[in-house]
Amino acid sequence: MGAILDIIISFVVGGMLLLIILTANDIAAENHAIYNGDMLVQEMLISTAQIIEGELRNMGFGVAETVATILEADSSSFAFLTDLDRDGDPIDTVRYFIGPTSELAGTQNEADRLLHRQVNGAPSMQIGAVTLFKVNYITQGGDVLDRPVPVSDLSEIHTVEVTMEVQNPYAPMSMVGEQALFSSSLWQQTRLASQNSRR
Amino acid sequence: MSTGQTLLTIFAFVLLSTTLISFYRLMGATGDDISSGQDGILATTIATSYMEIAQGLAFDELTDTSNAAIGDPNELTLPNNLGYDNVNEDSIHNFNDFDDFDGFAFDKEAGATGRAYRTQFAVNYVDDDDVSEISNARTFVKRMDLKTWRIMPPTPRADTLNLSLVLGYFHFD
Repeated sequence: MGAILDIIISFVVGGMLLLIILTANDIAAENHAIYNGDMLVQEMLISTAQIIEGELRNMGFGVAETVATILEADSSSFAFLTDLDRDGDPIDTVRYFIGPTSELAGTQNEADRLLHRQVNGAPSMQIGAVTLFKVNYITQGGDVLDRPVPVSDLSEIHTVEVTMEVQNPYAPMSMVGEQALFSSSLWQQTRLASQNSRR
Repeated sequence: MSTGQTLLTIFAFVLLSTTLISFYRLMGATGDDISSGQDGILATTIATSYMEIAQGLAFDELTDTSNAAIGDPNELTLPNNLGYDNVNEDSIHNFNDFDDFDGFAFDKEAGATGRAYRTQFAVNYVDDDDVSEISNARTFVKRMDLKTWRIMPPTPRADTLNLSLVLGYFHFD
């Protein structure tokens, strides 16, 4: 009787151990997927942000004081003048805009879309995948302008605030369908429409 | 089950518990590191945004109000008077020169993340030959030191981002 009881207890204890180890293994695998996703979106965000950041830094470069730097100012697209090749003439027009979600229909995430960069009306270049690309236009007095900003008000834009969010195209393995949660990372930066406007 | 076997089982459980605790702690720490990566991104972009605005301002109150070239640094604002120049310069949108930021601290919420960051500013004249040295005399070079850290949600492990921006006086004739 004692031997049988020992075996039963051993089975129970062994079963508990097995359960604990399997659960820990599951949690480790899921967390690994989540953390890996988090890191991936941070890297994707930074690589896209570096392109935008570098370009917005030169917004209005080489543009005459009498000319408005921003040519188009909408909530998720904008175009501005800058001298990309630094030859003084002609001044280049750079446009950023987001494409439709159908461009990335093959991914699990339904909100991701491509961010495009277009120079002088040439075919656009895809510079990254984003789930949010929002642009605010702020006057010298700190007022946020309604979008799209009418052409007559474009010269009032003093700073441009770009907000960008990148989400993982795929959810962690145990989260599928409507329950899916995607890792995300946010970037927000304010840039001057013209570097010398207050100098 | 003999006493020896019972003790062995208890020891095995203690060992397993210790291993599991270490395992979950490590996983939590990894999560914190990933989260602090996002903090780093947001703190950097916020600080860079302030730096961008500061770079677009005049070097000094004097150079903002006068278009004449300044040849003598002693004409500039006294080191003790660096900071906002009048009561109207109480917000970033009303600043007109680089050192108006001195002594201010601004809070900014980062989008809809629920995170907020505080940035503290200090502006000083620095040695022309060594911008790491603060100068008690007026020079043609100023340095802005920014400290940015997360205030919301509060965290005991908040890292502070320290950045500096050096601006020299220049004038186009």
